[in-house]
Amino acid sequence: MSIDAALWPYLLVILAGFLPTEIWRSAAVLLAHGLDEDSEWLIYVRAVATALVAGVITRIVLVPTGDLVAVPLLIRVGAVGGGFLVFFVAQRSMLLGVLAGETIMIAGAWFTQAQ
Amino acid sequence: MDRAHWYGRGIKAGFRSVQVGVLFASYVGFGGLIHDVGFPLGAAVLSTVLVWALPAQLLLVGAFAAGTAAPAVALAVGLSSVRLLPLVVSILPYLRGRGGGRGPLFIAAHYLAITTWVESVRHLPGLPAEGRRPFYFGLVTVAHSGAVLCTLVGYGLAGTLPHALATGLLFLTPISFLLALTRNARDLVDHLSLAFGLALAPVMALYAGTLDLLWTGLVGGTAAYVAHRIWEKRA
Repeated sequence: MSIDAALWPYLLVILAGFLPTEIWRSAAVLLAHGLDEDSEWLIYVRAVATALVAGVITRIVLVPTGDLVAVPLLIRVGAVGGGFLVFFVAQRSMLLGVLAGETIMIAGAWFTQAQ
Repeated sequence: MDRAHWYGRGIKAGFRSVQVGVLFASYVGFGGLIHDVGFPLGAAVLSTVLVWALPAQLLLVGAFAAGTAAPAVALAVGLSSVRLLPLVVSILPYLRGRGGGRGPLFIAAHYLAITTWVESVRHLPGLPAEGRRPFYFGLVTVAHSGAVLCTLVGYGLAGTLPHALATGLLFLTPISFLLALTRNARDLVDHLSLAFGLALAPVMALYAGTLDLLWTGLVGGTAAYVAHRIWEKRA
């Protein structure tokens, strides 16, 4: 007996997608039991979470996958630097910072592709 | 103030969040990708609803396209999702409220992903205790339902986006997280963990295998915390 091919992607989502992610979220609920918002542990866990999310940033920019690989390193780093600079100049405006970085990246991708 | 008021405030914060806007754009990109690899739209929408973590969803779809065996996919998704654990643990103390069992916390935890973590860190500590949980559910309602809608939109738009724009979609994640973390950083420990995480990730990506982001978090976060303790003792 074989699983109906049309159903397979749905099963894959539940068994290989939902269960292995939800298990960590549920484990976190059990682990966070008794942790209070002023505790030293919370400062530590937040530091770990912050470093982890920060890691996502340089990992995508410096060790990219997909279409970003085709964009030269200098443009990728320049787009981050430009976005960061505009963010501070524009009094910490996320919107303007993101737009500035995106403009550099899209223009860079456009010219790289045109070559 | 009643719960409906805080729920409404959370919804408003969701619509005003640049980070949530970035998430929507990323899900438009995801919708386009599943169209390209022939992953069924219904299963993709189900993954946005149930998995609710874009890196895991990308792994899932990539594995489907490559014909990888299900247990191997589950293992890869499980390893990449350990990162959710510290994110959820660091937010739950704000959502506990008074009384009530853990049931609502399991539901709240389901909606936590990197984007909703960033916005929760930003907003929750400053809210009165009774407003936090309804505010959180308002915020994640916007993020989650909007992402489902954007998965559909991306599927419909597939192939129409110019290549440079599609590359721009991939860059939204790193630039917006960098600015959001910088904006959210208040104390020394926040700035240090941000800097250490940025510096360590490329090294870990090369040498630490599939759990590289978890190692980046553990090593960078521990170093930042130790520095924070030493600084406090001196002060």
